[in-house]
Amino acid sequence: MALQTGMCLLHKQFALDAATARLAGFREDLRAFLAQAGFDEKSSGEVVLAVDERLTNIIRHGYRGGPGKIELDARFSDGSLKISIKDYSAKFNPLNQPAPKLPPENPGGLGIFLTRKLMDEVTYDESFRSGNLLHLKKYKDKRGPL
Amino acid sequence: MKIQQRQAGDVHVFELAGELDFHTSPDLRSKLQPVTEKSSHKVIINLKKVNYIDSSGLATFVEALQKAKRSSGKLVLTELMPSVRSVFEIAKLDKVFTLAATEAEALELAAS
Repeated sequence: MALQTGMCLLHKQFALDAATARLAGFREDLRAFLAQAGFDEKSSGEVVLAVDERLTNIIRHGYRGGPGKIELDARFSDGSLKISIKDYSAKFNPLNQPAPKLPPENPGGLGIFLTRKLMDEVTYDESFRSGNLLHLKKYKDKRGPL
Repeated sequence: MKIQQRQAGDVHVFELAGELDFHTSPDLRSKLQPVTEKSSHKVIINLKKVNYIDSSGLATFVEALQKAKRSSGKLVLTELMPSVRSVFEIAKLDKVFTLAATEAEALELAAS
């Protein structure tokens, strides 16, 4: 794991191919990063699921199962985790989707709902012109829903 | 994801192990399909060895529940780990699924 000192206590960048077979290995890497940042199992599980849902969404709807690149930047400092997820598929702000009806009567439609529910802040960066950039934030000591 | 299938009387028991996500859920869906398309089927899914589920996994179960309702079948999920149960609860799906603490209880619920 690449660690950097200075402004960030912990910093790691991930470059992923848009392939669902890569998700399990990525989740392991992210869990290791979160453990190093001091997240307990429950909070770590929330972050991993939130990020995994976004990645699945990009693979499934952004790249439509085809090839593509996903870049993820994770930084932890002062009790706050910031994760930025960048892809180069057609621009689409997932935060504009209406909230799903709960419990869902039909399969699907829960991905971005879970990402928003499990993180403390989620923002879509309109300034990124080459694709999509989503910023996720989680405070380590704030109790989450899981 | 490992999927083991066995029968207890007329109840089909699926025991899963591993992580249920967008990559692994199609395998579960294809193994459930031959059973859930029969009328009045009885299915138990034991999740005691599933430590991770995402919305694709939830969607697979919602689809199976729809089929059970349409064909007068029964679907019971059992032995959910707390981390998995929490995801059902966030989506309020614990209100619509029959969740059993033990497989013995699940067998009773499926057979009733």
